Amino acid sequence: MTIYSAIFYLLAALIIATTALAITRRNLVHAVVYLVISFFGSALLFFLLGAPFLAALEVIIYAGAIMVLFLFIVMMLRIEESKRRIFPLSQWIPAAVLCVIYLGMLAVILSGIEGDMRLETAVAVPAAFSMWIFRHGWLAVEIASLILLVALIGALHIGRRPAAADKKEAQ
Amino acid sequence: MNWMAFTPELTYVAMAAVFLGLSMAREDHRRDFHTALVFSAVGVGVSLASAGVTADLFAESYRVDLFSQVFKVLLACGFFLVVVLCNELSGVKRRLHPEFYLLLTTSTLALMLLVSSVHLLTIYVSLELSSYSLYVLVYLRKNRPRRESTVVHYFLIGASASAVMVFGIALLYGSTRTMYAVEMARVLPSVISQPAAAIGFVMTLAGFFFKLAVFPFHFWAPEVYEGAVNQLTTYIATASKAAAIALLVRLTALGDSSAALAQVLVVLSIVTMTVGNVSAIVQKDLKRLLAYSSVAHAGYVLIGILSMNPAGYAGAVFYSAALVTLKFTCFMVLVKVAADGANITVDELAGLHKRSPILALALMLSLFGLCGIPPTIGFIGKLLVFTAAVEKGYFTLVLIAMINVVISLYYYLLVLKAAYLTEPKAGLPPLPVSAGDRLLAGTLIVLIVGIGFYPDPVIQIARSAAAVLL
Repeated sequence: MTIYSAIFYLLAALIIATTALAITRRNLVHAVVYLVISFFGSALLFFLLGAPFLAALEVIIYAGAIMVLFLFIVMMLRIEESKRRIFPLSQWIPAAVLCVIYLGMLAVILSGIEGDMRLETAVAVPAAFSMWIFRHGWLAVEIASLILLVALIGALHIGRRPAAADKKEAQ
Repeated sequence: MNWMAFTPELTYVAMAAVFLGLSMAREDHRRDFHTALVFSAVGVGVSLASAGVTADLFAESYRVDLFSQVFKVLLACGFFLVVVLCNELSGVKRRLHPEFYLLLTTSTLALMLLVSSVHLLTIYVSLELSSYSLYVLVYLRKNRPRRESTVVHYFLIGASASAVMVFGIALLYGSTRTMYAVEMARVLPSVISQPAAAIGFVMTLAGFFFKLAVFPFHFWAPEVYEGAVNQLTTYIATASKAAAIALLVRLTALGDSSAALAQVLVVLSIVTMTVGNVSAIVQKDLKRLLAYSSVAHAGYVLIGILSMNPAGYAGAVFYSAALVTLKFTCFMVLVKVAADGANITVDELAGLHKRSPILALALMLSLFGLCGIPPTIGFIGKLLVFTAAVEKGYFTLVLIAMINVVISLYYYLLVLKAAYLTEPKAGLPPLPVSAGDRLLAGTLIVLIVGIGFYPDPVIQIARSAAAVLL
């Protein structure tokens, strides 16, 4: 086992453990903090695979911006800790069925691999990556900008408090 | 770059920009309606004008060919017809009309981009753009209790389908090392026997199963059909289905040689049409009934696609055109009967043949078409799809489909019985049907029966569109 694979398995275990903790915590602030650690783990994984730019984005956008936003929302809304089970028993069965399906698929996929499949790692420096994305994928980038516009309109209307909207209507 | 090939999309980008501006201007719902009408009519003209163009755009990630152009014309027509119905858009607050048209435009734009995309990344983001537009549109209905729960339900199922799709794309990329459809068509036959590629392929299709409401991604259909404004439900049932069928055909044509894929699709097709038809029987709300009928039709379309022969693909293309025409006719009647924008039950159709004979006739022909009774466009669609499947030896599948057709006959006839035989409890006034509405209903009736008698030109177009893929 090389040092790289040792680090990989360590990181993978860390990511799985922290994600599991994140989705089972009752305290939302704790959950967010665990998720941040999980994102840091994924960022390191990307780094290990030769994508430093993606690793930086993962830290800046996901662990940084999005999770800070989550924390703000959690603090602002003061969500009451519920005393109920986080997963009611009625949700266990479909979740378990889905898990079994996914594990089955994973087993089938692994059984179909003959020999070892080697992933060629190549370092994608930020400049090269950006050149590629804007040469080959700029239509996708433009569409993504439209998605953001639609999401903005959605946030504006769905997020608006009904009472406030009605008052405006009456004026 | 050949910008001429991109004009239909640019028209809708311009339309979206105009409505973005109007949403910030003074409220005037007549101005909004007329602007939308003019732009969508121009869109139909531009799509027709660019129907014969072929080009490769955006670093080969976008292909304009006969297949995409046929669907673009269909989408442009569907969008235009939905806008025509928006004359009485009473289900949405007047202040929000520009947003309503804006989101409908972005959704149509996304569907147009979708049918031309040949790069998995572009396909994925276009699909998301159309879905997100629809999530917000569903919310715009006024005076609807618990609309948040409808939207969240829709969104969660859509997001799960997207997650499955992205996972599938990752697996597919892992085994083929390409995101381009053209490359994939070359590489895929040699690797499709590997489980990773086959499973990845089926999971990639999940995004379109969601759009088309194929089992197990059909749970959103009744709730969203019921919760959305009537005009929006029309759009979801016509344009968005056509684009989903287009992409399923385009992607399945890549994985052509796989028997395992065909088996999966056979199972999905049987379950989908049976679930749809059996659930439709007990529905009282007309929109819920049509939602389950859409689920059933998704199952029939899959029969054409899983045949994986030129006849099957051409059949699926024809079927999508037939579905757009028939479903639109049904919903047009629904929108006119429910003039105040409310949902109507099947019983509320009572006495329709006296209140408006032409709408009742349109409803009858479209229901016959959905059922597959000759001589309608729907019969030809089913005939093409079923013969393609029999050619490939799927006899049992077609038999099950025929049994389903008989089940569907029952609930379509219940609707007809309400419209023609049941007398309303109180004497209802005649429906105000304008000359434009009569013209629209008449045109649709002529299309449904006319193409039923002389389907050849349309079949030829469907065949040559499908031939591009092979």
